[in-house]
Parts: sequence; structure tokens; C-alpha cells
Amino acid sequence: MSNDTKNVSRRDFVKGAATGLVAGAFAGMGMYSYSPWAYDRMPDVERKQHDFGSCRSVRITNISETSWFNNAHLIGDIHEAGGLLVNQYTLNWAPFGNGKGSAQGAYEEGIGSIKDLLPHDIEKAWEIQKKLSLHPENPGGYSCLIEVEALDGTIHKYLLDTGWSYSWMNDCFKREGIDQMLRDQEIEALFISHEHWDHFWGLPVTVKYDNRIPLYVHDGFYDEGLQYIKDCGYKGDLTIVDKPVTPIIPGMALLKFDVPIINRVFGETSLAFNIKDKGLVLISGCCHQGILKFADFAFANLKYDNDKFYGIYGGLHISPFEDWDPKYDDLVISLGQWGFERIGCNHCTGHLTAKKFIEAGYPVVRGTARFRSASKDYLGNGDKINFGC
Amino acid sequence: MDTSSFSYLESRKLVKRWNGPIPALINTFLILAFFYVTWWIFQDPRGLMRMYTPYVGYMVCRWLLIIFIWLAYIFDYWPFKRTWLNKTHPLIKGAVLTLVSVAAMVLLIKGFFVEILGNYGIAYFNPDRLIEMGITDFYSIEYAAEAIMMFAAIASWLAPSWVVACENAPWQKLGQPARGITIVVVTFFISMIVYFVTMHSHMAILFYPWQKYTAICPPYWEQFANTVSGNFHIAWIMCCTVVVWQFETIWERYPFNLIKNDTLRRVASFFGIIGIALALCFFLFYAQDLVWGETIRGTRRLMAPDWRWLHVGEMAIFWLLPTLYLNFYCGNWPTKFSRPVNVCIRTILTAAMAVVVYVIYYKTSHLFLGTQKGFSHPQQFPMIPMIWLINIFLINVWFMDGWPGWKAIPKTEEELAEVHEEIVASDVKWTPGIAKGLAVGVVAGLILYLVVINVLPWIGANVNIIK
Repeated sequence: MSNDTKNVSRRDFVKGAATGLVAGAFAGMGMYSYSPWAYDRMPDVERKQHDFGSCRSVRITNISETSWFNNAHLIGDIHEAGGLLVNQYTLNWAPFGNGKGSAQGAYEEGIGSIKDLLPHDIEKAWEIQKKLSLHPENPGGYSCLIEVEALDGTIHKYLLDTGWSYSWMNDCFKREGIDQMLRDQEIEALFISHEHWDHFWGLPVTVKYDNRIPLYVHDGFYDEGLQYIKDCGYKGDLTIVDKPVTPIIPGMALLKFDVPIINRVFGETSLAFNIKDKGLVLISGCCHQGILKFADFAFANLKYDNDKFYGIYGGLHISPFEDWDPKYDDLVISLGQWGFERIGCNHCTGHLTAKKFIEAGYPVVRGTARFRSASKDYLGNGDKINFGC
Repeated sequence: MDTSSFSYLESRKLVKRWNGPIPALINTFLILAFFYVTWWIFQDPRGLMRMYTPYVGYMVCRWLLIIFIWLAYIFDYWPFKRTWLNKTHPLIKGAVLTLVSVAAMVLLIKGFFVEILGNYGIAYFNPDRLIEMGITDFYSIEYAAEAIMMFAAIASWLAPSWVVACENAPWQKLGQPARGITIVVVTFFISMIVYFVTMHSHMAILFYPWQKYTAICPPYWEQFANTVSGNFHIAWIMCCTVVVWQFETIWERYPFNLIKNDTLRRVASFFGIIGIALALCFFLFYAQDLVWGETIRGTRRLMAPDWRWLHVGEMAIFWLLPTLYLNFYCGNWPTKFSRPVNVCIRTILTAAMAVVVYVIYYKTSHLFLGTQKGFSHPQQFPMIPMIWLINIFLINVWFMDGWPGWKAIPKTEEELAEVHEEIVASDVKWTPGIAKGLAVGVVAGLILYLVVINVLPWIGANVNIIK
């Protein structure tokens, strides 16, 4: 009898303990997880303060920020092909069109039609591709020239991205004198921010004028992208960026972000500059990692003057198709707290975002809306911005 | 015993056609094959209909889920007769009931939301209206689909809650279709209120300028959630959706079914589910902060609070999959211990399995589902394939009696009596032993929680799921 009582009591104890275990765990979750105490125990960010030197100034010339000319055509093509996850090389856009229609494109077939013409006859190559691809007049491209003045006064020139349409980018390069700078090998390197059509597919235009220009790409590039670099006739030093921070020259570093991007692209690289006595300038292609993540990474890893975020330039990837989402308002609301003194934005930042930035009173540098740029709310084609000059 | 007082699901018993794990293995194989074929046909961005845009596909699978719940749980299969359900081959039953659900879904989405609500009430439910006002076709469809989907997300928490927690009260004695219509109308109405309070402001600031004369802008949750995005509500609502099914399946409505008083039990169950869901929600958000670092308001993807809230819901749905699998295909294993011990083991087991499913999903989904690599891609919605798979579970178990691994036979009187045991349990009574165990268990649970939150930062620093 006493054993029975003990057994029953033990069984009851186990029943209670099993119930209590689950209840206790949930109680902990509910009462502690989102409380101030839970967040008090989070470790402070350990700043590595990597000293990458400093430079005197950075001047940016917007070669082209108009990556496409008609949002409806671009997003319509993507929609028709099956949405934002469809592999960009199958969308059937130039220069990888094969004439088979939406979502039926293939890298091999597309490049096969023009490979022999690259990079010496990009005009003819583009004409061929225009007949095979969807909305051939829509491509433009993103590219900018970055001129860095070192502390000793030396000027270093770099290209960030090389656009999309061969014909549009060729015209833009000529307009800004980039073609001659490339021929003269004045430009020290080409950085590709990411593998997307509008930043990378215009590579033959750069290669046409300088096929040995040092080239930097993110290590998330797919086989097609790496093959395209070869098929363009590129003969130079290709650097596959695989480190979070790659110093380029004093005051200039390439930062790598492993971020998934639409149309099966992975990874973005962006540039950071330390302007002496001013602070940090961040320059991006599309900034798929987000401008605040970009700034936060720099805050945690780099040493820069005055410990101050000074300026931004580039596509900030907020509303590239003039779409919107409440989460974008989080940026509009919070960006001011980061204290940037000059904001130069365009391209995938979206007109609506630029408009909201201006309404919020942020120091947005206005543009001239020339050369098919659509708004003076941001820096358009041919516009320039200086940091530290 | 009068079986008509029991629902079809309560009145049937599923028995294995073969011994051992063979039925589970065969069903799993067939379900996965059916999942992949239908995924390719309807959802896959590389497939035929490519509805994973993502919101169109998301809307469809959410509404299919809620209509399955309405049909099986709320309408008890009305207008189909019990004799038809008992005698018809599972394949035919599955096809007919699924097609009826699809038809109801199309009628509801196109008829009610797009045509009626979108034309005579709220413009953003109708994509054509948004297109006319100058919004890109693609985003017009996506915005409308998001709003319609979110309504289903709320309904798929409230509708089963009314059956599982509130036990259909006060209409439990009504016949069909009166009971079904009443509960659908009531839960639909409450869903609408919850929608207005949780999502309408989100939709209102989706447009420029903010529609502040028609909605609360900025929304009231801004400071607490650290975002103006309605994803904050997706987090706790998804947790409610998951917890209500855990309560019904692996927890066997324990411990609230120990409450004898009907009203008290129902109220405690309903709000208990919400309380547990909130606890889970806050934990899953905190877990992300521990692994990835604190959020940065205004940034994108992994570090953004809006995405972290969304990911709370996504993580919760990863827990629902093993929960339903254990219940449907593993006989709710284990069953040999006392109810509290069984519940405890199942909870820990399914949580562990959820972690495994999570890791497998993020490691492999981009290879075979057409999704993008990475946690936080804007089009990476694991809820879509998870719910698609869960829908197939439901078709298999609710509409096809678990065919081919299982078949339905009527329950005996003793077995029917056990249905009541589920509603009001009598196997756990308050004793000093229970009290002592409970106290020790609560402490152990708190320690377990502390261990987990101390291990998570180490996981964040040392484990890389996506390479």
C-alpha cells in the first residue's frame, strides 16, 4: 500500500514536472524575452576600428543612373517571366536574348549570337541582340566615375559599375570622356557592385576601351557571370572579393556584403572612404544590403575621422520600381539620426524616396534632370557631387 | 451512442492498412511527390503558373488553408452527407472536396474581396483600381494580394480557435449549416475587426501620401515594434495560428481541458492560446537578436525589425509542420505515458524537429523550390511552401482519411466517449505531488529557457547555415 502511494505520488510529481517544464519555458519566453532586462544583457558592439588611412576628397561623376527607362516594361517583363525570383539570365533581355520569348532565355544561346563581336564591335552586337530580346529599348545602366584625391594631391580614378545597354553606356562614356580615360588607362580599376543586369551586363563597353583594367567582383557571382567576363574579351586581373574589407588605397576600401538579391543574384560590394577631417563617405551601386547596414558595418569595422558619417552617394535601393512598403518609411523616419551631412542618391533609391527624404528635411543634393534622368529630386545623369572638396 | 452528435472527424478512426512505419513512409513519399508536382505547376518561379510572385501564391495557399478549415472543422463537411463521406473512395472524396474548396476560394477572392470590397469599399483590394490610379501592374496585384492574404492569416487563427478553444459555443447545439454559417460569419466579422486594427494602417502607409484620413498613420505599434510595418502583427498572429493547432493536436487541449467549468475553460483556452503565442513571438524575436545582433530600424533584410517580425511568423510555421506530421502520421507519439508527459515530450520533440526543418529548408530550398538563397530575400517566404505542404497534409488526412496508408472506420462507443475526455480531461487531479512537481518543473523550464538564450549567441557566432 505504501509503495502504491509512493508510486502514485511519484507519477503525480512527474505529471506536474512535465507540465511545469513546458509552462516554465513559455513563462520565461513571455516575461523576459522582450523586456528591457533581456536587452541590457546584449553585448555592446565591439568596434574593430580598422585603420584604412584617409584621403583628401572624393568627387563623383554620375555617368548614368538610369538603369531602365520604363518601369512598367521592366517589371512587366519580370512579372511575365514568373516574378522576382526568376534567374536574370533567362529573362530574355539583351545581351542574352535568344528570340524565344519571356523566361525562355539562356546565357549560352544569348552570348553565342554576339560572342565573336565582343568587345571590338559592341554596336553591332547590340543591334543583333535588340532583335532577339524583350523591350530592347528599355535598357540603360548604372555607372559612376569616382575620383579620389590622396593626401599628397594625387588623383586616383575608378569606375563603379559599367551599366547595361552597350549603346546607351557607350554614349554615356563618350559624353563624360570615360572612353578616353579608359584608353589612356587613367582609370585604375572597375568595381562591379553586384551581378545585376543594369550594373554588370554593359561590361564589354569598358572592356572595349581597356581590356586589362583591374576588375573586382563579389564572390557570389554565378558561373554565367564569371563566364561573361571571359566572353567579353577581358584579359586583366580579376579579383574575386572574398573578404569583408579590402583596402584599395589609403582612405578607400571595398566592403563586401553577402545578401540575397532579386532575380537570383547574391552579394553586393560597396565602397567606403575616409575623408580627412570630415568623416566617412559611403558609395554604393544598389545598396541591397541597406544603407544603414552599410553604415553600421562601417561603424563596427572601420576607423574614420571625427567618428562621423559624412556622406552617401549611389542607389540606395528603396523603391526602384516606385513601389512602396511601410518598412521603407522606417528608413525615412530614422535616417536623420545617423547624421549624414550630404546625401547624393539616385537610381534604385526611387523618386518617391528622394521626395520623402526632402520632405523630411534631409540634406539631399538636388540634380539637374538632364540626359533622360527623370527628376531633379536626386542626382541625375551627368551630375557631380563632391565630398571634402 | 448517437454518432450524429459528433463531427465526422471525431466519429471516424483512422487505422493503418499495414504494420509498422510503412503507412507513414508511403504517405510521406506520396505527399512529397504531390507537393513537388503541384508546387511546380502552381507556385514555382520556374514552373507553369508561377504564382509565387510571392504574394499571389501566398494568398492562394492561405485561403485554401482557411477554406479547408471551414469545410472540415466549421461546416463539418456540409453539404456533403455523412453516408457519402463514409462510403466514397478517398481519392474521389479528396478530389471533390479539394475542388469545391478551390471553387470557394476563387469565389471569395474574386467575388468578395476584389469585386465587392475592392469596388464598393476599400480600393486596395482591387488591383485594377490601383493600376488605374497609376501603380505598376505588378505591384498593384501584389498589394491587393497581400491585403487579401493577411485577412486569411487572421481568419486561419480565429476560425479554428472558435472550434478548438471555444468549442463552438454558444452555437454547439445548432445543426448544419446554421452552425457553420454562424461561426464563419462571426469569425469573419472578428477577423475584419482584427484586420482593421492590425493591417489597415500598414496598407494606408503603403501609398503616397499616407492615407491618414482613413487610417491611423503612423500606426500605434510604431514605438513598441520599432517599425511602422504590419509585419509586427504577422508575428503574433502566425504564432496564434500555430499554437491553436498545437493545442488541438500534440497538447490534446491540455492543460486548459482540466477546467471543468465550460465558460471558464473556453475563455481560458482562447486567451491562453494568445498568451502562449505572444510568449513564443517575443522569444523568437529575441532569439534572432541573440543570433544576428540587435535590429537597426530603417535598414533592410536581416537586420531590419520588420523582417525579424516576419521571420518570427516564419519560424513558427516551421514548428507547425512537425507538429501536424507527428499527429497525423505518427499516431501523436508518444501516447504510452501520462498526458502531461506525452505533451511535454511531443513539445520538445517537435521543437527540435522544427529546428531541423528550418536548417534543411534554408540549406536546400533554393535548389529545388526556385526560391532565392538566403534568409531575408524579399521574395523568400518559407510560409508559402510550408503552408502548401500543410494544405496537402490536410487534404490527405481530412479529405482522404489518410489514404493510402490509413482507412477510416467508425469509432466504437468507448472510443467516442474518449472524445469527451479530450474536451474535459479527468486524468490529472490536483495533489501535493503535482504541486511539488509543478514547482520543480517551472524552475526547470526557466533554466531550460536560460540555457537556450545563452547558447544562441554562440550559435550565431559559430554556426553558418547558408554558405
